[in-house]
Amino acid sequence: MKLWKDFSNGLIKENPTFRLVLGTCPTMAVTTAVFNGLGMGIAVIAVLICSNLIISLINKIVPNEVRIPIYIVVIATFVSAVEMLIKAFSPALDSALGIFIPLIVVNCIILARAESFASKNPPLNSIMDGLGMGIGFTLALIFMSGVRELLGAGTFLNMPIFGAGFEPALILILPPGGFLVYGLAIALFNKLIVKKA
Amino acid sequence: MRDYLKLTGILLIVCVVAAGVLGVTNAVTYEKILEQAIRENNEARKAVLSDVEEFYKINENGISDILSKPDYEIITEVYEGKSQGQTLGYTVKTSPKGYGGTVEIVIGIDMEGKVKGIKVGENSETPGLGKNAATPKFQGQFVGKDWDNGIVLIKNGIPKDNEILSIAGATVTSTAVVEGVNTALELVEEISDN
Repeated sequence: MKLWKDFSNGLIKENPTFRLVLGTCPTMAVTTAVFNGLGMGIAVIAVLICSNLIISLINKIVPNEVRIPIYIVVIATFVSAVEMLIKAFSPALDSALGIFIPLIVVNCIILARAESFASKNPPLNSIMDGLGMGIGFTLALIFMSGVRELLGAGTFLNMPIFGAGFEPALILILPPGGFLVYGLAIALFNKLIVKKA
Repeated sequence: MRDYLKLTGILLIVCVVAAGVLGVTNAVTYEKILEQAIRENNEARKAVLSDVEEFYKINENGISDILSKPDYEIITEVYEGKSQGQTLGYTVKTSPKGYGGTVEIVIGIDMEGKVKGIKVGENSETPGLGKNAATPKFQGQFVGKDWDNGIVLIKNGIPKDNEILSIAGATVTSTAVVEGVNTALELVEEISDN
């Protein structure tokens, strides 16, 4: 069933973090704590679904030569509007996710899916793709931030796990540690999880 | 030529629609966002100076010669806290420079010059490191510190009476918070001397 394939694609086969290697910048920044990874993941799922939908709806009328600027304007406008609405109507959501929303505009997963999928596919499939990619991204973030927070700070979701005697490997929450975990995770993912064609 | 016109035309339409959407959203949300900011400010003041009934923004003309000193550059707001007409203390909002930008801190100080509480607010510090300055564990260290001696930051060991233990890996952020609190203490000392 095409809809299911479009959804499941983003989970493993074309996982945006471990297979497409997209959105590396926010991934690095946000995986220092599981709470942040979760927050970013949820925000990206919401934005991906909506931006894919909008782009798919206008894909027939957008001329090829100017499609990139138009996609960027659409995505940036959408994210800015969402940010204003969250700030105004949900202070709770804002204090939890607030800083991630502006970061999403520069998350290239959004533009990549707009360009390689939503611009050429019908709206319902685009929604599925957005959902699958978003969930795949979120799972990747949870895994990476789980490792980094657990070993780099001794906590999970801000709850201390190891007790007072544990000396965390601080490097894991700093950039070099982030890259180390990322590289190893990509290797692990491809070796163990991706089924050979 | 016609091609360019068509392309530019479509781009123009898209941008106009986008600007329109943003303009409308802004109009709808502007007031609410302001209200939220005011509410957060009030809550921060209540959090750092808990037994106060009413807060009054200090008449800046009254203390403008004090405020204009370069040491107090990072101070953005001073409120007087009163209960039944009696001044119980002051809340000072400072914005020292941290690692990723300014760190907003609200400090509540009572009439004896003791810190009653601090609240670290808006900042762009590193999640997992500097951002932990906004936790009760770090903020709680400042309670009870007074203006007799300046607060000193130490990196390890057990902090003495006027010392604060820095957050591991976030010295710049911790230094900024200490700077903010020290400046607030100095300011309140000067104001209450007058």
